[in-house]
Amino acid sequence: MAEPIVQTIHRDPALFWWILLPITVVMILTGILRHYAMTLLQTTPKKQDLPKIRQQRSLARGLSLRQNANVLSPAAFSARKAYMVQAYQEGKFLAEPEMRGKPRPNPMSDPAAMEGMMGMMKGNMAMMIPQTLIMGWINAFFSGFVISNLSWYFLTLFGLQPVYNFILGSNNAANQVSQQMGMQNPAAGMMGPEQDPDKLFLAEAENLEVLEHRWILEGIEERLVEKYAV
Amino acid sequence: MATANLLAPPSNIAPPAALALSQKAPLILSNPPTSSLPWPLSLLFSRETPESWAIHENLFLSALRTGDEESAAQLLSRLASRFGEHNERIVTLRGIYNEATAQTPASLEKVFEGYEKILREDPTNISIRKRRVAVLKSLGRTSDAVTALTVLLQNSPTDVEAWAEASELYASQAAWGQAIYCAEEVLLFAPTSWSAHAHVATLHSLSASSTSPPSLSGLSLALKHFCRAVELNEGYLRAFYGVKIVASKLLPLLSDTQVSSRKRGEQDDEDVPVPTLASVQKLDEIATKKLGEFIRDFGSRKKGQSGYDEAEIVAAKELLSR
Repeated sequence: MAEPIVQTIHRDPALFWWILLPITVVMILTGILRHYAMTLLQTTPKKQDLPKIRQQRSLARGLSLRQNANVLSPAAFSARKAYMVQAYQEGKFLAEPEMRGKPRPNPMSDPAAMEGMMGMMKGNMAMMIPQTLIMGWINAFFSGFVISNLSWYFLTLFGLQPVYNFILGSNNAANQVSQQMGMQNPAAGMMGPEQDPDKLFLAEAENLEVLEHRWILEGIEERLVEKYAV
Repeated sequence: MATANLLAPPSNIAPPAALALSQKAPLILSNPPTSSLPWPLSLLFSRETPESWAIHENLFLSALRTGDEESAAQLLSRLASRFGEHNERIVTLRGIYNEATAQTPASLEKVFEGYEKILREDPTNISIRKRRVAVLKSLGRTSDAVTALTVLLQNSPTDVEAWAEASELYASQAAWGQAIYCAEEVLLFAPTSWSAHAHVATLHSLSASSTSPPSLSGLSLALKHFCRAVELNEGYLRAFYGVKIVASKLLPLLSDTQVSSRKRGEQDDEDVPVPTLASVQKLDEIATKKLGEFIRDFGSRKKGQSGYDEAEIVAAKELLSR
């Protein structure tokens, strides 16, 4: 009878106590620390003022009119279209009517935009510094078996998210990997500071004007009769 | 129909359900989600989840609705200690509490002045603006409420709740054109909502019936919207009810207009296609049949299992026996 060959990897039993465990513990602790540091560094988002809200929501209203125009009767739709197109073209909903037609200011000179950038910088720093420090620390402290340590470091770096979820709740700021994922497509609002709202309104007015209106309620009686005839 | 629970806002639940919910107050009040231990330990032992605060908020509303003001005050203070007195939501909840406990119109006026003060400091507080409309409405100053709402809607034209409220206020003043406009605005944000369609249809039907003879185009529009509601939800009793009522109003008109073709030519100007007599008759039959089915279904099941309101069934019975 052939015994199955048992593969054993010979490793130093001290490796677990002196390398794997300390790295894991340190990683978890830094994650928690980072979470609280981020919470402290976070600036509350600045409140929009009323004209800005109005500008943004008026544009959203035009969008929803365009998307769901099919529920309206032709008369109701054309009345709305006429009103919205005229208001958009006149710039009635603009938050800063006097800025119309002027080039947008450089975002670097806008203090509000600078604040947002500072917030992003802070977030980046809170991730970068611990990461660099820990990697250096691991390299220096556990030198000798660099390969195995660094690989364990990377494993914990990417694999600790569930542990953080368990300790800190699901929307924590502990894991830099998820942070970097979020960084890839920053929530670029429909109306970033660089975009000229007037241009957006004009574009929307044009979209509304060329929209082909089909009434979904057209012939619905026959449709329903047919459906129930079967 | 989903059963009422504390995770959904309690705006549309029946009084018995609200009472049942508010009776859960002692249980929830005896288990605070935040721990009373000192700081580092409290982090470990708190049972706080995002749901626990939603439950607190909804329980607060249910408690106010059933007159359990003591529990409501406790829940409010718990929420305030967690989120701070100046949180926008807490301010609104406190406003609701003050409104509910106001005994006289004078004290309600006081609440109203409080809202004015908040809005002077922060004009972007939409929920306080809404509360302000609600106070004006309960003070009976409907036209002021309408004005306040139109200001709100100018600044926030994507607010479905506000459009729906405006539609209702206009309807209460029999300003049908405006009411229909606002209801259509709701429809634009919820194009597949059968209840929104039924609401538009009801307004069209009411507006058409307010003139004599009833306007043919208004009734046709009402029929169309009720039909759409049926198309979206085949078990929607209200829509079938509406189809039957509108059809019964349309039938005599249509048989009249078919005799005088001159009048029909007149109607063609308003680009609402008038349904044919045959299809209206068919729809009437369908609605009668379906309403009968609903009533039988309601009778054969246990209470609360068919998903229909008893009042709706009674109304349908009455309509069929006409």
